Amino acid sequence: MSDGFDESSDEILSRRLAGELPRYAAPAHLRVTIVEAAASPARRAAWLGPLLSAAATAMLLVLVVLPVLPRIVPSDPAQRFVRAVVSEHSRTLMWGARHGEILPTALPWLTQESGIALLKVFVGDERLEFVTAEPVYLERQRGIAIHYRDVDGHMLTYIALPAPGLTVPDPARVQIGRWRPALLRDSGFAAWVWKQGEIGCFLVSDMVSADDVERFKEYFGRVRATTEPVPMY
Amino acid sequence: MADLEFQRQALVHIDALYNFAMYLTRRPPDADDLVQETYLRAFRFSHRFQPGTHLRAWLFQILRNTFLTFYRVRERESPVAEDGVPEWDVPMFHHAPDDDGTAMDSHTDLERALRRLPEEFRTVLLLAEVEGLPLEEVARVMACPVGTVKSRIFRAKERLRGLLRDYETR
Repeated sequence: MSDGFDESSDEILSRRLAGELPRYAAPAHLRVTIVEAAASPARRAAWLGPLLSAAATAMLLVLVVLPVLPRIVPSDPAQRFVRAVVSEHSRTLMWGARHGEILPTALPWLTQESGIALLKVFVGDERLEFVTAEPVYLERQRGIAIHYRDVDGHMLTYIALPAPGLTVPDPARVQIGRWRPALLRDSGFAAWVWKQGEIGCFLVSDMVSADDVERFKEYFGRVRATTEPVPMY
Repeated sequence: MADLEFQRQALVHIDALYNFAMYLTRRPPDADDLVQETYLRAFRFSHRFQPGTHLRAWLFQILRNTFLTFYRVRERESPVAEDGVPEWDVPMFHHAPDDDGTAMDSHTDLERALRRLPEEFRTVLLLAEVEGLPLEEVARVMACPVGTVKSRIFRAKERLRGLLRDYETR
């Protein structure tokens, strides 16, 4: 029997495999690399968890506290009302009316919702088109908003609501026919402000340039002459 | 990620795993990557390891599965070996060309013959004869019945003997 035959026996081959094959030891750097790679996610998790937790807590606090933080509001009641009606006007420009209704069929509903009755109401003409009417809640008062659009596409918002503390500022008054409303500005909008009894009335638009103001005066005259709000309750 | 004690126990077997990886990949850079990937997977899935079972065999199983995953990807990427080199001789992780001097040299006919065996024959001999794992553990690593392991060992030795005879007659 040859040497080759002896070596081919199972036992000898097993011994050769176990004893003659070179063994390759892992390089030293490999162990270090593995340990570092295994540790790195843990280090990241150590600060990431608390950071996310703190961020979530801060966000929750902001959401809870934000509504009760004192807001910067004008001390002048007239300016405060103007800011509120301008906000309502800009909201309508962006989102439209909440509950658009058609005059005059909606008048009873508007009166019921707002507590203000309109003995007369401007329903539009060849220059100003009636768009919609809706009840509003501004400065803790329920009122009525009526929206118009002129032939050039300018939106106008008429708002009437109880305003016992409102004093129309004299320096801003402008003589228009037999009336003397005040012209106030806020956030790029202009507003005519006047009172009819205990009702504060506002006509808001983006007509702020010199030419526009002349037309705005004309629109005020049309609305003022044909709209008569009175407190219902 | 695994706790430090598990890591310590697993790293005891790094030399055996590296040796196995060298015979599978034939290239030290590939063996490095394969062992590192094996440990990262083992640490990540350490919760699946059943205490009391053979940690060493579990690590071998992960290493082989990882190798086969990369190996099959490589096979899909380059199904044809244009230069006639057996497809398992191209770098597994595509780090460098074959002739960069990092490929494992064969020191003996036995080593050269072992390298020429198909993977399932090489693995079964390395685990059973070189590492001394019980047949049941080898079967677990290779995900096959013990009978299949015995059959593969028998056939692997036959192939190995044939190759050794060829070397002796040259």
